[in-house]
Amino acid sequence: MDEPVKNESGTGSGVSRREFLTGTGALGFGAMIGGLFVKGLLLPDKVLAIPASKGYLLVDTKKCGGCTSCMLACSMTHHGESNLSLSRIQVTQNPFGKFPDDIDISQCRQCPYPSCVDACPTRALHADRETGVRTVDERKCMGCERCVNACPFTPSRALWNFEDKHAQKCDLCVDTPFWKKKEGERACQSVCPMRAISYATEIPKQTPEGYDVDLRTGTPWTKIKFDGAEGATGVAGSGIQKK
Amino acid sequence: MKARGFVGIGLGVIAAFAAAAALVASRVQPFTGNAGISYRLLFDSLGWLVAAAPFAGLLAAGFTRRQDPRIEGDRVLRHDGAAIMAHWTHGLGTAALLITGIALGFLFVPRFIGGFGTAGFLYNLHFVAVVFFLFGTFYWTGNTLLATKRFREHLPSENAVPYTIQHYGLLLGMKQFKMPPEDKYFESERMAFILAVLATGLIVLSGFVKVAAHYFDVPGFLVGTANLTHDVATLLMLGFFVAHVFFAAVLPMSWPMLRSMLTGYVTLEHAEHEHAGWVARLRDETDLPDNVVAFGDTPSAEPAAAESVS
Repeated sequence: MDEPVKNESGTGSGVSRREFLTGTGALGFGAMIGGLFVKGLLLPDKVLAIPASKGYLLVDTKKCGGCTSCMLACSMTHHGESNLSLSRIQVTQNPFGKFPDDIDISQCRQCPYPSCVDACPTRALHADRETGVRTVDERKCMGCERCVNACPFTPSRALWNFEDKHAQKCDLCVDTPFWKKKEGERACQSVCPMRAISYATEIPKQTPEGYDVDLRTGTPWTKIKFDGAEGATGVAGSGIQKK
Repeated sequence: MKARGFVGIGLGVIAAFAAAAALVASRVQPFTGNAGISYRLLFDSLGWLVAAAPFAGLLAAGFTRRQDPRIEGDRVLRHDGAAIMAHWTHGLGTAALLITGIALGFLFVPRFIGGFGTAGFLYNLHFVAVVFFLFGTFYWTGNTLLATKRFREHLPSENAVPYTIQHYGLLLGMKQFKMPPEDKYFESERMAFILAVLATGLIVLSGFVKVAAHYFDVPGFLVGTANLTHDVATLLMLGFFVAHVFFAAVLPMSWPMLRSMLTGYVTLEHAEHEHAGWVARLRDETDLPDNVVAFGDTPSAEPAAAESVS
């Protein structure tokens, strides 16, 4: 039997504990159901508006030697260890392919419509307010891996960190806890011995190969008449040249 | 209510949980949408259920009329329907939460599954378990708020340590000990109750923050703190759960207790041996003969005499 309920005067009148509990439960449950109808039927659909990134990595796979220095630098500056599996830029090599299809650099393209941001249920993967770079707030990541599969490119530019159990991706070195970098530096670009990685502040022209650009024309590579040094269109100096 | 009715409640909860899990497994499949290949995350689409489940538990408690323990001939009513309902919704929920949560990886425990499809399935099962867990927890909380004596009988007394030493010393074969007059709950169980309450409270609060991050822009430090709290509380809950299942279900001497959590009843002989203090308390409530119902209002639908045996 329930304990007897008394009001402050001890007379036993007023709202009983059971009535209060039942009322609270009914009110709360009703509010949830009511809120559901309001949100579903009365409120307009949300619009996802994501600012464009203010920076883009450009790569020239014809210059890349597959040394993976960029991958090691990326993992070292972000995680404090040299681990190719933790790198946010991936260099894949096809031993059965021939030049120029034997090496591919898979960097994040900072898509104008980032499907990885759209897929994230907790806003962990978001566009940074200042730089627009698509990056992961690791504290908020719940590990659903939807971003990994949302990326339209293979391999996915959003990666699964198996050690810390959260998603991660190229953040253009906005947050590098293990590297005291100068303003505007990026680890992969700084360390690449072939200077096969560059940076642009305007979105490059989209191609099926991604931001694979000519970083050879106008460099000593031109003198050796390296295949493709005249630029993608066959005209000398037609490629984007950035230091 | 007869023992068959109590069994129905327990089995009903188990069946409902199994049905919900099967529904998730069969209906929530990966699909290709604007964001590429994805899967429906129930924490996103049905998150309102996480908020509604606690209120549903409180509402159900408001409509519940409890039955106090009583002696009925050669058996004792130990758990009424409300206790059975609260126990199995909370317990099944806890079990499923632990299994899915551990498989997904936390703290130093690696993720045991691979691929986003499996991760999605486990997250959705985790959601189903959350709803059951929250309903059971708040249903118990509501019932306890209506009768705080039930909470007090779960708390350790001043005899916690000596009774526990005597009880388990005897079980381990130390003949100098005698079975202490344990109450309805062993003193060791009452101490474990503290751990269960602490773990449940931390898990529920941190879980609410994690679900809120799906709908509001919760600051990163708050979500990070909630994640860590949730993970640590999982360890506490795992410790309690393993001990509870071992002592309450695996040990053969506990099988009468397990049966009572389905039928509601234990034999008087078992109660007199294991819970002598409890039986004495029941008998002291009335000066009627031993085979007649003890204290508390007896529901009018139920005959008070011992003949009402199913």
